Amino acid sequence: MQFTIRKGLQTNTECLKGPVEEPPVQSVAFLGADYPGVVFDLRVAQGDQVIAGQTLCVDRHRPEIAFVASVAGCVGRIRLGPRRKLEVLELTCQGEANRAFDVCTAAQGDVALRKLLLQSGGWASFRTRPFGHVPDPTSRPQAIFVTATDTNPLAPDPMAVLAPTIEMFQRGTEALLHLTDGPVYICQPDDAPLVSAVDRMRFVSFSGPHPAGLPGTHIHHIMPASRQRLVWQIGYQDVIAIGHLLETGRIMARRIVSVGGTALANPALVEVPLGARLSDIAQDLTQTNASQLLSGSILSGYRSEYLRRFDLQMTVTGSRRDGRIRPFWRRLLDRLPSAPTGATLPLEGLERAFPFDLLPVPMMRALAVGDVETAERLGCLELLEDDLMLLSHLCPSGSDYGALLRRTLDILAEEQAA
Amino acid sequence: MTRQAEDMPRRWDSTRVTLATGVAVSPAVAAAIVERGPIIYAPILLAIGLGIAWPLLFARLRQQPLRWDGLLTAAVFVLLLPAAVPLWQLALALSFGLVFGDLIFGERGRSFLNPATVGLAFLLFSFPGLAIETSGLSVTIAATVSGAILLGIGLLSWRVVTAVAIGVAGPVFLLSGTEGFGIIPSAGLLLGIVFLIGDPVAAACTNAGRWVYGGLAGGLVVLLGHAADGVGTLSSVVFAALLASVLAPLIDQIVILFNVRRRARRQAHV
Repeated sequence: MQFTIRKGLQTNTECLKGPVEEPPVQSVAFLGADYPGVVFDLRVAQGDQVIAGQTLCVDRHRPEIAFVASVAGCVGRIRLGPRRKLEVLELTCQGEANRAFDVCTAAQGDVALRKLLLQSGGWASFRTRPFGHVPDPTSRPQAIFVTATDTNPLAPDPMAVLAPTIEMFQRGTEALLHLTDGPVYICQPDDAPLVSAVDRMRFVSFSGPHPAGLPGTHIHHIMPASRQRLVWQIGYQDVIAIGHLLETGRIMARRIVSVGGTALANPALVEVPLGARLSDIAQDLTQTNASQLLSGSILSGYRSEYLRRFDLQMTVTGSRRDGRIRPFWRRLLDRLPSAPTGATLPLEGLERAFPFDLLPVPMMRALAVGDVETAERLGCLELLEDDLMLLSHLCPSGSDYGALLRRTLDILAEEQAA
Repeated sequence: MTRQAEDMPRRWDSTRVTLATGVAVSPAVAAAIVERGPIIYAPILLAIGLGIAWPLLFARLRQQPLRWDGLLTAAVFVLLLPAAVPLWQLALALSFGLVFGDLIFGERGRSFLNPATVGLAFLLFSFPGLAIETSGLSVTIAATVSGAILLGIGLLSWRVVTAVAIGVAGPVFLLSGTEGFGIIPSAGLLLGIVFLIGDPVAAACTNAGRWVYGGLAGGLVVLLGHAADGVGTLSSVVFAALLASVLAPLIDQIVILFNVRRRARRQAHV
């Protein structure tokens, strides 16, 4: 299958192909906000020594789901937020110890594979639609979507990342077939299948401007999620990690991440552990501390101390070092006083950047006023935060529609559970 | 974790929208000043004063920062105003438009009407028999430039403009043949299309709705003009804009209904 997306935002930046640097990272963190809907029960305490792959905490309501350390080291600060909710669990990197998992039986069947993924933290790399939660250990989705595309500006090129690890990717995708009775869709930028097709594997190519590469766009066009239809999504690097785990019995918690932004002379690719401290990465590249660090792309990044779980990008904003001079009217606009958050302005351009058969402005208004029922009727169950980032970028109101959507989805999920 | 406004390099914010619209409206204001001469100074100054005073009052009462789009309302209002209107009538009508068309709803974007439309409709209702203003060629050209700027930066929907053009041209052709097209490029009609009917807040907010809304507004301009004192006059444009923007939310609801049904059918089939 082939999809050419017309709507979206043309950005004049290309994917990054390499070379990949490995900056020294001193500290990583586990961020509670990466897993909406999970209440964490800690399995470690401050000062404990952990090895990579060791369980840090589990889901209180579904204790089979483990969240593991991405590096070996020492547990540092554990910060709890309101209602004693885990916000940040910091680890100081020490050594290379890596926990071994028993993988002999895992490749054969569903039950053993699930057990392995649950123990090794691989389970947490799936996200469900609707709601964007970590899936239930016993649930079987109607389809799994592997996203091997990325249209965010300055994202790492999935093809370049996959090229040296394609065998592990193949192994990972084959394993996914055990978890569902439906198809496993591999969404890719080119027409030629990435790996050799097995059984229920389907290859779908997506081209077009951002957000043509986001899983939300793919799922909407192939198999829209709803209360009746549960699908899972997973990123290509997480599938590589599953393949690596099945091959070696050890977790692969390193990701290839792109670093871009105005404060950087040249964008670069780096290989860092999950949850790496952004300032460690940036310091190596920019030799400065004076910049603003975002986890995510320039369009969708959040200010954060650590790399968020599902981001394959970080952005260093701040004073320009890339040598380009902005046109005078851009500088003039930057001098205007910043406007406060306001009402949604129904511009035609919002619809031009939203490649869904959903109505963006009514949806944005429903989310902004917290009208949960209307938002659901308009199809918000098909969406996750990332899908609305472009609208937040384009809308003059200054609202973060991603955060508003999260609030709405949380209410809907609570209602469904009750 | 929520995003701070300064984290996001946004393309637009409300200050920029106001500034860009102000830039777009300025050629029309300049042309009107040149064309009408000193007689327009007093109305302009009064309108500017009211365009700042009312938003300032509401900003103070609500303890919010002042927004400047009242100035744009004032400028559009004066541009479309017949020259013979006494200043007290202007003040009354513009105040009504600013307060009940915009400010009581909150801010720009929360209302469903254009405040200049509301003010002009109030004026035409309350003080009938106003002399019909015929602006000259320079204002017409300037209005076209304003519209082109707004279209270029995306603050005016090309769908609405095209639909209005079709909505006006179709009935005019049916009623009076090709010679009827002579009335179309009047300054009042163009300004009305660009700033009253084309205002994104007053228009429908879905693409399909924009076509219906524009066609409806264009058709009403002809219908109301034909019934009264001529197509393209101030009253026909203002009341067409008012009626169309009152109906815009209904149009959007119908579009939403169709969208929801279509998606439900697709959900059942895929």
